[in-house]
Order: sequence, then C-alpha cells, then structure tokens
Amino acid sequence: MNFKAILAILVCRMLRGVSRLLHRGGTAMPGRWALKLCPDLLARLAKDVRTVAITGTNGKTTSARIVEQAFTEAGRGVLANRSGANLLDGITTEFVMNSTLSGRPRRRWAVIECDEAAAVKVFPQLRPEAVVVTNLFRDQLDRYGEVTHTLENIRTAVSSVPGATLCVNADCSLCSSLALTLPNRIVYFGLEQGAVPSRAKSEISDAPHCIRCKAEYEYDYISYGHLGGFRCPACGYRRHAADYAVTDVIEQRPDGSSIALSIRGERRLAEINLPALYNVYNAVGALAAAMETGVGADEAIRALGAFKCGFGRMEQFRLGSVGAKMMLVKNPAGCNQVLDFLENVKDRFVLVICLNDRAADGTDVSWIWDAEFERLHSIAGHIEKVIVSGDRAQDMRVRIKYAGIPDEAIAVERDYETLVGKLEGQERDVYFMPTYTAMLELREVMIRHCGGADFWE
Amino acid sequence: MEQELKICHLYPDVLNLYGDGGNILCMKRRLLWRGVGAEVTKLPIGASGSLAPYDLVFIGGGQDFEQQVLLEDLHRGRDREIRAAIEDGVVFLTICGGYQMMGHWYETYDGKRCDFIGAIDLTTVGGKKRMIGNYKFACTPSAGGSTVVGFENHSGRTYLGAGLEPLGKVLAGFGNNGEDGTEGAHYKNLFGTYSHGPMLPKNPAFCDMLLAAALERKYGRCELAPLDDAAEQAAHDEISARI
Repeated sequence: MNFKAILAILVCRMLRGVSRLLHRGGTAMPGRWALKLCPDLLARLAKDVRTVAITGTNGKTTSARIVEQAFTEAGRGVLANRSGANLLDGITTEFVMNSTLSGRPRRRWAVIECDEAAAVKVFPQLRPEAVVVTNLFRDQLDRYGEVTHTLENIRTAVSSVPGATLCVNADCSLCSSLALTLPNRIVYFGLEQGAVPSRAKSEISDAPHCIRCKAEYEYDYISYGHLGGFRCPACGYRRHAADYAVTDVIEQRPDGSSIALSIRGERRLAEINLPALYNVYNAVGALAAAMETGVGADEAIRALGAFKCGFGRMEQFRLGSVGAKMMLVKNPAGCNQVLDFLENVKDRFVLVICLNDRAADGTDVSWIWDAEFERLHSIAGHIEKVIVSGDRAQDMRVRIKYAGIPDEAIAVERDYETLVGKLEGQERDVYFMPTYTAMLELREVMIRHCGGADFWE
Repeated sequence: MEQELKICHLYPDVLNLYGDGGNILCMKRRLLWRGVGAEVTKLPIGASGSLAPYDLVFIGGGQDFEQQVLLEDLHRGRDREIRAAIEDGVVFLTICGGYQMMGHWYETYDGKRCDFIGAIDLTTVGGKKRMIGNYKFACTPSAGGSTVVGFENHSGRTYLGAGLEPLGKVLAGFGNNGEDGTEGAHYKNLFGTYSHGPMLPKNPAFCDMLLAAALERKYGRCELAPLDDAAEQAAHDEISARI
C-alpha cells in the first residue's frame, strides 16, 4: 500500500467513527472522501477478497443475505454491505472497515450488492468472482432511464470482469441477453414450466419485444411480469434451460415457501424462510452464486431456510398485540408481487402505504399507476382499513380511490409516530408498503416502539 | 345508460411508459361515476381495427427501443387515419412520445431524422440535457383554463409552428422546450402535452374538459354532473404547493 492509500484508509475510518458518534449511518460519506484521496482504493482493498456481486432491479438485498448465510454455513468469514449502501463510495467504506490500516483484508470473502448504474464503476475495481443479475424491470425512469439502458450498463460492467462467472435469471429475456455478447462463463437459474401456475400475459410487460430483433415474444408460461418461458418466433432467441432450476413451488405460506430444485440435474428439496414468489427467484439465484463459488449443496440449501433479511424486506415486527410486516416496494413489478402476497393473506388486516418521492425513491411517482392496486378491490373484504402516508400520501390516496376503494375508507396519516401509536392499540395485523426512504424513517419509529437493531448493524 | 363514450387506447403495447394507463382509468371512472358509459378498446401495433368508431383517442409515451416497430405500423396507414380523425374533431389526448409523434419529425441529437405523421405543425429536436421534474402550467382559455400539475421527463425540445396554439403557459418547469414558456399544443380537439404518465387523476378539471368535449361532439350538449374531488384536489394542491 502506498502512502495515499493508507491516508485514505485513515481518513475513511475517522469519518466513519465520527458519524457513528453522531448516530448517523455513515455508510457512503467516508468512502467518498477516501476515494478522493485514492481513486483506486477499492481495487487495492478488494484484490485479495473473493467476492460475489449482486445487481439487477429487484431482490439484490435479499439475494445478498442468502449468499452471505451460505458463506457463513460454509465457515467462511464474510464481509457484506448490509446497510444497502450499494454505490462505489458505500462499498469502499465497507472494504475499508474490513481492512487493517495497511490494507490487508480481515475477512477473505465478500457479498456485495451493487446498484445497476454504479456497477460500471464498481466492478472493474471489485473484480468479483461471480456476478448475479437478479432481474430487470422498469424502475425509476428519472434516475436510470429506460430498462434497456440499465441492461447496457450491466453489460458494460460485466465486460470489465470477463473472468467472473455470470449467474443470470434464465426467465428474464433482458438479463439472459447478456449471454449473447459476453465472453463470461454463464450459469442460468430460473423457474421451470409447471413450478407455479402460469399467469395470464400481463397488460404491461417491461419487455414485450425481442431484445435482438424486436418481434413480439411468445410465452410457454409466465411466472410473473415478463419472467417466464419466452421465445422469439422471428429470430429464435429463447429461454435457456436453467442449471439451477426450481421445478416445483410445493407450498407458499405467509412465512415462507417449500420448493423442489434441480441442481444441475440433481433433485433436492428446500425451505425458504421468506414468503412470496419473487423470493423463490432470489433463493435460486443466490443458491447458484454460492455453489458456483464452492459452497456445497447442503450448506447452500440450509442457508435458504436460515438467512435473516430484515431491513424492510418482509421484515416482521411485534406491534402491541399484533404482527406487522414491512414490505418494501420500489417499482411496479415488485409492488405487484407484494399485492400477490396480500391476496393470499387469510385474516383481516390493516394496510399502510407510504409513498415518498425523494432521490432514492425516484422523484417520479407515476409508477403507482402501473402497479395493479386494482387487486385490492377484489380482497377489500379482507382489508380492515387502508392508511396512506409519506410525502406523496395524497397521490397514493387518489390511486387507491381509482382502484375502486371508496375514498371514505382511506385515511391519510402523515406522522409516523402517531401512525404507529394508533396501530399499536388495535387488533388487526398490519402490512406496511413503504418506498425506500419511507421505509428507513418508518423503521426507525417501529424499532423505537418494538425494539430492534439499527440499520447499519 | 343513455350516453356512452368509446375510448381508444392506441398502441398500449409500446406507448405505456410509466403509468399512462392511469389516464384511461381516470376517464373511465369519471364517466361511470356520472352514469355515462365508457367502453375502452386497445389497439396495439398491427391491430386491424379502424379509428372511426371512437370518440376519444389516447396515445401515451414510449421507450426509444420500440420506436422503430411503431413507425413502421404508423406508416402502414394509421397515420392517415389519425389525421382524418383529428380533422373530424375526435378528442385526442397525446402525451410525450405520442405528442411528438403528432408533429412533422423528430431529429435526434446526432442529426438523424425520424418522420412522424404531421397532423399538427410542430417539430422536435433531441437535446443533450434531459428536462426532468415536477412542473405545472396554466391551460389557455380555449383549453379550459385550468392549472395542470405533472411530471415531465424528456430530452426532445418541441417547437410549435406559427399558427399552432400551445396547450398552456409554463408556470414552473420546462414545457415544450425550456425556452419559450409554452407547454403542449392544442388543435381542434387534439391536446398534446409533456405531462407524462398519469396526468389526469390529479387534474380533474382538465380530465372533465376532455370528457365534455367528446360528449358535446357526440351528443351536441353536455352537462357533466359535479363529483366529489376532495382527494384529487388534495393531490393536486400537495404537489402544486411544492413547485
């Protein structure tokens, strides 16, 4: 390590210490200053660390937690950016905190989730051994632009690490197209036909036309959104068979799923300790990455039933005498999956939707009109009450009204302290659907009321 | 039901960027709440149906990726049909890409020109800078005079020909090109705007103006019963106060 790098490490640690004293998260800022002093700091610190990087629109955090658990099950010391700081500066902070002052790593393995746009800068320095691309959906148009633009970003990022094994979602025509041009070793994961009942073709697909020739795709089956058994009738581009395949989703429960897997042809059963179909995808993608970096099947499968995610991803709280679940929503595809989950809730519940429009949420709230909130209408009998909150509570109120819930049945409550206080005193389970920054704030209030860990721990 | 509007959602398969469907839903609900029927038909790319039966046509915004597919379909005769319907006084709401498409052409930043349908006298030039954010504009009296709040996200700068009336005057944000203070275009019953995605739900007065125009054209008279717009107005005011 040269002088600059050591100075950068020192500064980064100091800034991190100060921000902790001030009870700020301090996840990104210290790394930003360190990189100013030593622009290739991450490359130096990551050189001797074997890393799995996870990118894609939805499921990065959950997938990372599963791979991390698999590494732990396999007895590996592992570094991870659990706080969700997934840009170059935040990731650099994590690596600095993992290193000695001279820049030697304390832990030899890392699981890093990386923002889709930031991957171009992060991957060349991080040099991951395996990359997972979870899926690609339309997301925050104001920040990322069109979904094909995000795809090209990821393509550029992965092309900087040709030695990395690329684990892609076989059911996502966008992700899979990475294999068309990249020289990397490709591993596919996905859901096989019949694993879940096929959905009808959705009105709004994020990828209706062939990425290669623009003809309209045909589908043998659809698991959700544009994911499924796609094929292009014109040029022949089609879903590749999955090396890590979910052959059957045997049972979906409010607290998890039971699945049957085919791992390179070998049949196994597994329990996933988070509910909803999108977490089945996260599970099989993470399983692929763990096993491709040498974790055994037993450890990897054990991880699926043992990992802890928290941090707003189907996170469970005890609120007074009732249960509360925090279900982060960021874009139409993820939101529809959460609505799917709600359709299967048996008991009456209170639904709280918190819509913010800050930079990290996306400043454009139009996406709520692409999410199928109409489904709430069909389960209205199960909903005790809908409460809307957040900076754009009124936009959410209008969306719910036009989804067919009478305005009289929708309450606006902006103050989280009051909101949580009221919810504590009632008798129905509560389901929160917050956007990212709303989740951070709401979670703080919830933790004060329920007890729990701060987000950076 | 005594009265009914037939609404066409043109190219919903490619021009559906971020919440455009909210506009259709809004028009439909606001008609049904008043006891007016609403029948929505989607005409995707390659659909054979003609535009003749419709009272109201909605065209949304799209991704560049699919533009080529769209242009081919337009130039197979749909362009002539759209021009005829506009001249015939059919109500059109066109947004973003759909709005640009009504003009003569679009020239990309590196000088490539795409021919559009030339239904109204405007042209669009691709810019380097994207114009993104919440914005608002005051509609001209002939377009109802209401204040509209929305979100714009475009790099194209649109310029209106001398005889073409804008939809309104920008109060905050960029509008057509960020230079001349105009927003959108209004010709006969065609309304074009950069207010992308779900513009109608938070702008109930603007939505009702469109519905009234379509009903008037069809039935010669129109009295829209007032609705309880407390939620819509609150959403309008919430963002309007911020920009």
